[in-house]
Amino acid sequence: MSSDSRAFEPKIIAYVCNWCTYLGADLAGTNRLEYPPNVRIVRLPCTGRIDFNLIVKGFEVGADAVLISGCHPGDCHYTAGNYHARRRWMLFRPLLDVLGFDLRRVHFTWISAAEGKKFQQVITEITEQTRRLGPYPYLKFTKDGGAPNWSPPAARPRAPVHGEAQMRETARDLLASGAVNVVLGYDAAGAPAFAWKPEETARLAWNENARTNLAVYLKRKEIRALGKIGMVTPPETARALNVLERESQVDREQVVEIAVERSAEPPDFSALESFMALPPEERMRFWIHEFERCVRCYACRAVCPMCYCERCIVENNRPQEISPSATIEGNFAWHIARAFHQAGRCVGCGACAHACPAQIPLGLLNAAIAKAALDQFQYRPGSERGQEPLIGRYSLNDKEDFIR
Amino acid sequence: MSISLQSLITMVDSWLGEGKRVLGPKLVKPDFVQYAWLGAGSELQLEGFLRPANSIKEVVFPRHETLYRYRVDGKTVQLLEEDFKPVETLVLGARPCDAAALPILDPLFNWDFRDEFWNLRRKAVTVVTLACQSWDEQCFCTSVGLGPDAARGSDVLLYPLGNGHFAVRLITDKAAALFGSYADEDHPDPSPGPPVKFAPDAVKEFLQANFESSFWQENTLRCLGCGACAYYCPTCHCFDIIDEKSSRVRNWDACQFALFTLHASGHNPRKTQPERQRQRLQHKFRIYPEKFGEILCTGCGNCTRNCPVGLGVLNVLKAVQHG
Repeated sequence: MSSDSRAFEPKIIAYVCNWCTYLGADLAGTNRLEYPPNVRIVRLPCTGRIDFNLIVKGFEVGADAVLISGCHPGDCHYTAGNYHARRRWMLFRPLLDVLGFDLRRVHFTWISAAEGKKFQQVITEITEQTRRLGPYPYLKFTKDGGAPNWSPPAARPRAPVHGEAQMRETARDLLASGAVNVVLGYDAAGAPAFAWKPEETARLAWNENARTNLAVYLKRKEIRALGKIGMVTPPETARALNVLERESQVDREQVVEIAVERSAEPPDFSALESFMALPPEERMRFWIHEFERCVRCYACRAVCPMCYCERCIVENNRPQEISPSATIEGNFAWHIARAFHQAGRCVGCGACAHACPAQIPLGLLNAAIAKAALDQFQYRPGSERGQEPLIGRYSLNDKEDFIR
Repeated sequence: MSISLQSLITMVDSWLGEGKRVLGPKLVKPDFVQYAWLGAGSELQLEGFLRPANSIKEVVFPRHETLYRYRVDGKTVQLLEEDFKPVETLVLGARPCDAAALPILDPLFNWDFRDEFWNLRRKAVTVVTLACQSWDEQCFCTSVGLGPDAARGSDVLLYPLGNGHFAVRLITDKAAALFGSYADEDHPDPSPGPPVKFAPDAVKEFLQANFESSFWQENTLRCLGCGACAYYCPTCHCFDIIDEKSSRVRNWDACQFALFTLHASGHNPRKTQPERQRQRLQHKFRIYPEKFGEILCTGCGNCTRNCPVGLGVLNVLKAVQHG
C-alpha cells in the first residue's frame, strides 16, 4: 500500500448477475461509456446464488469496496432469485455491522441489461466515494492500545426455573410404562444426563445450571438409534424443536417432551445496543481481540441444535470457501458463516457462547441478526409449531432502502 | 535470595525489548486468565486464579503454522523452503502440569520422523514454572505421578512466598543466566496437592480388558464431539496438514471430530461418539504408555473444565473406578 494518498487507486470487486447487470456492463462498453477501471467484475448466475461469504472474501483479498448487483425486482431470469437475495442481505448487513465492517464500502444495486448508463454512474460514484474513504484496512487495525474498553452490561439474572418435582415424576412414569426407552435431562450440575430406569430419574434435576439445549442430541445418530426418547424441554428447547421439525430434522413422534418452566423472557438486546454504541472500527478491533483466542474447537457448532450438517461448510475443501486455519482471517470467515447460517433459525438459547472455552461473546452476533429479524419481520424463530422459515421465503414488500 | 514480581516484570520487558517472545498468564477478560503472548511485563498475572484455561503447548506446537511455501508454474512446482528459525521464547508462570507435557511429547515428535519444527522450537523455549498452592476438584496431577511442584519440563521453578517474592529453584542450566543470581538453596515445602483419585495401572488394566464394552456407551454418550478437550489439553498433539494459499500448513486436529477418521470412501471406523471417547482414553492411558512408557496426561483438568457437557478424563476415570 502506498503511503502517498494521491497514488491510491481503490480496488472494487463487483459480483454481478449474468442476466442483467453483466449485460448492463456490456452495454456500457459497447456504447463507449467511460467508467473508472477500478472495478473487477465477477459474473455469477444470479444474485440469489451469491454466497454471502464472497462479500467477506472480497475484503480478505484486498478489495476497498464490494458491489453486488442484479436484476430489478420483477426482472429476475429465475423469477425470484433477487427477492431471495434481498431478504438475505436485510439480515446480513446487521451482522457485518456488529462486526464493525464499514458499510459505506458494501454496495447493493439493481442494474438492468438496458442500463449501461446506470452502470457507468454507479461505478463512477462508488470509485469516487471509495477514493475519498481511502484504503480499507480490513482486519489490519493495529492492535496497539489493546482491545476497546467495552464490557457487556451486567447480565440480567437468569429467570427462575420451576417444575423439577413434576419433571422427575413424569420422567419416572414414562420409563416405568415403557412409553420411552430413555429420558434425557440434566443432572444437578447442569450437565446432560440419561436415565434408563425409573429409579435413575432421581438424579435428574432442573435448575439454573442447565445450559445445554438438549435438542442438539437429536442430530446425533447414536442418540436417534436409542428409539423413543423423553426429553426435558424448557421453552428454548421447545423453540429449537419447532425449527428442527419444520426443517424435517426431527421426528416429533420419537420425542416425548417433558416440559419444564422458565419464567417468560423477552429477547434481551441490551448488550448488543451498548456494543453498537462503539464506532465501527472499534467494534472490529474488539472482534480481532476476541477471535484471536478462537482455536477452532468448534464447541459453538457442536452444542448448537441448528448446526446439523453432516459436513460443515468449513470442512468442505472443493472449494475451500472458509479457511479451517485459526488465523484472524480464517476466524472472521468462520464466525460470520456460523452466525449467518443461523439467521432466522437461532432460538437464542445462548448455548454457543456458554460453551466457548475462550469466552468469546458469540451471542452478540446472533443477537444482531435476531434483532433485525424481530424489527423488520416481527419474526422470532421457533415461536410456534409449523412456523414458516424466514429465509427461503420473500415478500414483494421487503425493504430495499439500502439498494440503489 | 528470591526474586520479586517487579524483577520478573522487568525481565519480561527486557526480553520483549530484544525482540523475543514471552508467553504468560494474562487476564484476557474480567475473571478469565489464559496463557497469552505478553505485550508488556505489566500484563503478567501470577496470582488470583487457579490456572490458565488453556495450555502452553502453543509455544512449541502452534495451532496454525506454515511448513513451506510453493509456487506452481505451468507444470512445475517450485518449493520455496526457508530455514526455520524459531524466535527465542520465555514461558513465565507455567503450571507444573503444563511444563511436564513438553518432555512427554518429545519422543512422539522424534519417533519415526524427527519433527524439526518441534525440536527447534523446543530448544528455543525456556520454561519458568510457578509451583501450585491451590487446586480444585478437577485437578489430579498426583494421580499421574506429578504434583504441585513437579520439576519435569521446567528450567526454573518459582515458589510463591506470599510477599510479592518468589523462591527460585534452578532445574536446568538453560535459565542460569537469567535466574542464577536469584537462586535459593532452600525452597518451601511443596503443598500436598490434590488427593490421588485413581491408579493409572488399574486404569490401564481396565482399558485393556474393556475395548469392546457397554461402558463407553453408558458413560460417554453425552459427548457432543467438539475439540475443546483436545485443544485445551497440554498433551494432545494431533494435527491436520492442508494446502492453503500456496502454502502447506499444519493445523490442530482432534479425535472427537467425526471427520478425524472419515475415509475418502465414506467409511468411518469410529462411527459413534462413544467410540471416539474410547479412543481418547485408550490413547492417553494405554496406547501411549505402551509405546513410549508415559501416560499422555498431566492431570491439569482442562478437559473437564472446558467441556460443554461436563465430561473430561477425570469424570470418565471416576466411572472406571466405580466399575
